[in-house]
Amino acid sequence: MVWLPTGVAFTQYFYSLRLVSGRSMQPTLNPDDSVWRDIVVFDHFSINWLQQYERGDIVALRSPHEGKLIVKRIVALPGDTVKTLPPYPDAEVYLPEGHAWVEGDEPFKSEDSNYFGPVPLGLIDSKLSAIVWPPARFGPILEPGTGKHRPQSGPAWRRERDSLERDKRRQSRVTIGSQVP
Amino acid sequence: MSMSRLAALAESLSSKFKRTDWDGVTKKWGLRGLAVVNAACAIHLFAEHVGWIHVVAGPSMLPTMSASGEAVLENRLISPSNLKRGDLVTYVSPLDPTRMVCKRLIGLPGDVVCVDPTGATAPSTEHVVIPKGHVWFIGDNAEMSRDSRQYGPVSMSLIRGKLVAKVWPLSSAGWFRNNFHYIDPPSH
Repeated sequence: MVWLPTGVAFTQYFYSLRLVSGRSMQPTLNPDDSVWRDIVVFDHFSINWLQQYERGDIVALRSPHEGKLIVKRIVALPGDTVKTLPPYPDAEVYLPEGHAWVEGDEPFKSEDSNYFGPVPLGLIDSKLSAIVWPPARFGPILEPGTGKHRPQSGPAWRRERDSLERDKRRQSRVTIGSQVP
Repeated sequence: MSMSRLAALAESLSSKFKRTDWDGVTKKWGLRGLAVVNAACAIHLFAEHVGWIHVVAGPSMLPTMSASGEAVLENRLISPSNLKRGDLVTYVSPLDPTRMVCKRLIGLPGDVVCVDPTGATAPSTEHVVIPKGHVWFIGDNAEMSRDSRQYGPVSMSLIRGKLVAKVWPLSSAGWFRNNFHYIDPPSH
């Protein structure tokens, strides 16, 4: 009880474990074939202290409208130009200072920047760094295309190939600007 | 003579060194260090979630607050949905996540505001409806302030607290009263 402040500060500024609910990050998180909801390590340190925001990172942020915590992937950073998806009114959007574009991996079940527009970086709470549950997918969240699958077949390899393809499609919609975030 | 005294001193020091329970000392100071860290965490969490005194800086809120050397009491135990027009609110800058700024709340969700009546940053005829979950902030010193006129409505999730009182300098200390004056009082 006496050590509670240290514990709370640790979960708030370094690392915490949380349950991810919702289907917007399928199939990276909470895939359909999983009976569990994912438990994931949330890394507050790189966001709050180091200000590391990178394209492709999965982050937890406060929804600009409701204030609840949502999990999305950073697609573009300040200075970039993004080709939007429906229902966003404009075909292309330039990201102003201090704003990022976030999207779910599952475009049809995600309420993301295509719905509410660019989000201020101040809303981003933490970065998702590793899956701890279920054990079948235990391990750090890797960048697409870095996993090693010797037999070039099987469900794991297909998942990896699909995530690489999604990543390519995502990147093709972003024109990286010269401004440093 | 002096050599023998020095030798005696060294002898007594070394025997004292040998008699000391080094494990106990390390443990004692280690625990003290952890207690200091724990207390610092407790104070920080209090400041982050309950309230604390902050020094304000910058010309954007003149004449309510001077550009430097003033301290204010901030209340973090607020719910953004209970804020009123005219409150002095602190929030994370939408332009820079490391900066906290304080501005006056002008419009609540659903209000129609004129972006800039002077026409300096936007045509004076441009009006916007503030979307759900957002509010409109303007600095009291509009000339020297970067606020909603530049970055538009601010998400309520960025709001951190509300200023309650000025505590320094003592000559101008006092509660911040809501000085919002309705020309045409809202019906509800």
